[in-house]
Amino acid sequence: MSELILSLKDIKKAYQMGEEKFLALKGVSFNLYQGEMVALMGPSGSGKSTLMNILGILDNPTEGDYLLRGENVSKLDEFDRAEIRNAYIGFVFQSFHLLPRLNLLENVEVPLTYAGYAPKVRRDRAFDMLEKVGLVDKWRNLPSQISGGQKQRVAVARALAMNPALLLADEPTGNLDTQTGDEIMGLFHVLNDEGVTVLIVTHEPEIAEQTKRSIRLRDGLLESDQKHEQRRPHVASQVSTHYIGSSQ
Amino acid sequence: MSDLAQSSKLPAVHEDDFDVIPFEEAPYSGRLSIFEILKIAWRSIRANMLRSILTALGVIIGVAAVVALVSVGNGVRQNVTDSFSSFGTNLLTISSGQGGFGPPGLVRGGGSQTLTIEDAEAIVALADDRIEGVAPANQSNNQQVKADANNTTATIVGTWPDYEKVQNAATQAGSYFGSTDVETRKRYAVVGSEVASDLFPDVDPQAVVGQKLKIANVSYDILGVLEEQASAGFNNPNTNIIIPLSTFIQRIERNDYEGKPTVSTIAVKVEDPRDVEGVEADLTTLMANLHEKVSEDDYDFNIRNQANQLESVTAVFSTLTTFLGAIAGISLLVGGIGIMNIMLVSVTERTREIGVRKALGAKPRDILSQFLLEAILLSCVGGLIGILIGIAIGYFSTDALSVPFVLSIPSMVLAFAFSAAVGIFFGFYPAQRAAKLDPVDSLRYE
Ligand SMILES: Nc1ncnc2c1ncn2[C@@H]1O[C@H](COP(=O)(O)OP(=O)(O)OP(=O)(O)O)[C@@H](O)[C@H]1O
Ligand SMILES: [Mg+2]
Repeated sequence: MSELILSLKDIKKAYQMGEEKFLALKGVSFNLYQGEMVALMGPSGSGKSTLMNILGILDNPTEGDYLLRGENVSKLDEFDRAEIRNAYIGFVFQSFHLLPRLNLLENVEVPLTYAGYAPKVRRDRAFDMLEKVGLVDKWRNLPSQISGGQKQRVAVARALAMNPALLLADEPTGNLDTQTGDEIMGLFHVLNDEGVTVLIVTHEPEIAEQTKRSIRLRDGLLESDQKHEQRRPHVASQVSTHYIGSSQ
Repeated sequence: MSDLAQSSKLPAVHEDDFDVIPFEEAPYSGRLSIFEILKIAWRSIRANMLRSILTALGVIIGVAAVVALVSVGNGVRQNVTDSFSSFGTNLLTISSGQGGFGPPGLVRGGGSQTLTIEDAEAIVALADDRIEGVAPANQSNNQQVKADANNTTATIVGTWPDYEKVQNAATQAGSYFGSTDVETRKRYAVVGSEVASDLFPDVDPQAVVGQKLKIANVSYDILGVLEEQASAGFNNPNTNIIIPLSTFIQRIERNDYEGKPTVSTIAVKVEDPRDVEGVEADLTTLMANLHEKVSEDDYDFNIRNQANQLESVTAVFSTLTTFLGAIAGISLLVGGIGIMNIMLVSVTERTREIGVRKALGAKPRDILSQFLLEAILLSCVGGLIGILIGIAIGYFSTDALSVPFVLSIPSMVLAFAFSAAVGIFFGFYPAQRAAKLDPVDSLRYE
């Protein structure tokens, strides 16, 4: 087995709803290994986003331990959480979340800036990442000047900038049409082939089929955790040639 | 991970240096540099330029007001101070009534006039050798004066020849009348430089001497032309016409007190400034005796020297400047509240941005500095612009008031420091609110 990246041990998350406590996660445990590509499935309200927030160290679990690369990160203050997010986690959101006033290059530079890299290092790295997602020509554009699929590619470039241990994507294709969605999935495949560990929240079975492992949540509990055959999207090979193959 | 690193070494489209360091080995400080924070803050100010300007306007107006008001206040004060010191510190001015303040040239007895020529003569009779000169004076403003085809408005001053040294009003051409001219009520005049140039345009002052002028249809011989003098407070000595006191009483205006003609002021010049207080005491005794007043509360005259005159004027101006400064300070405070208001709006508006930045690794500290610096930048740039505008307003209004333009560096530094403090104070709460936002909630914020 390859290197253990993270390990969840009986993670619980409670939300205070007025007088009552609502348990969004009721004890979830699983491990994730280096190089895996995993789909996180489950009906709406089952706790997928809640779990993603905990995995992304945007939030602390109410109970349970979260070991990221062997380090317990479940009870950190916001300062330390920010540092770990910056260094280990790459986020891709359903609604892209690019900063509207920054151009594409600057958007990709943001995590590098918070890490305190020198401007030259940042620029070089951001250019490399934009090149990886095939948008280097448009580096001057503002997010409002590009398409949804392109935005999501920039978001992927930004998520990769710090060379994260884990790429978290919460419904990354949710706002995209099927073909553009497949392109983004193609990109994830290429990255995964290069060794990036990817966790994707999705509602679409077709997307889950493209991974090697599916984890299902129901009512805050792990319903199933299955390994299965990976079926690549048709565009995947195309996409990879287009974005990366041609420039290698 | 290493795969990723390898794949990122693609042929670069940008000009690269020879010493390419792989990203994994590139040094990083682990913290956002102040320069980067400034850049972020400046960008967001620029993105809402109009709003930023309007927000800064409160501070701009406040600081401009402080700088302009203090500069005008100082200019007026300096002007008054200058005119006081041009009379010298060894001048005593006796006037009717219980007191008050103002430059001696201005003083006209409020209420009834109780000083008479006899009082002045009594002072001369003291033959005190500490006293250099005595000049009782009456004055009449806005008199029409004619000479040939020209006419002008002048202030007629009736006095004694000592006026020249007592009030430092020397002639540039010709001379004063003598004491015998006063006794014989000669119709002689010594004119201010402006009167001379108004009545005899393009005529050399030397040639003005010997000409005639008419006041109230009475003709006077011009004996001398005064040197140009600095404007003293609110009256212009260059529009004075000085004539013998006796002539004034006969021809211009006569007021009596117990059957004797009055004078509005008696100016006494003391030779040595160190004797001023002694002479003042002696004159007080003399005047009290002459007017038969026992208690100080009954005195119908007052004697003031330049030092305490200056003190009271300076005190009034300081109070005024402080007061105006306080009003301006309040407007700065209002400007600060404006900044706080907009910063709070801005934090709400940018909740999602804050969430994204946090997700990408911004620490609470980074977000705090970003918003705090934005507020400080707004108020400091506002402060700088305010100082420039304040200087301009101060310059033009002192020019319009024809008082000296005094740049008060301390007031500018204070105004700037205050505006920076306003930025810190009013920017802190919104910035802290931004820093404390929960990343999950702010990412979800619509
Ligand atoms: N901040 C919160 N306060 C209270 N309850 C919350 C909060 N966030 C989530 N919940 C609740 O926790 C449960 C799980 O929410 P979550 O967003 O994780 O669902 P999800 O699986 O991502 O759903 P979807 O597929 O619709 O995105 C839901 O019932 C939701 O109402
Ligand atoms: Mg969700």
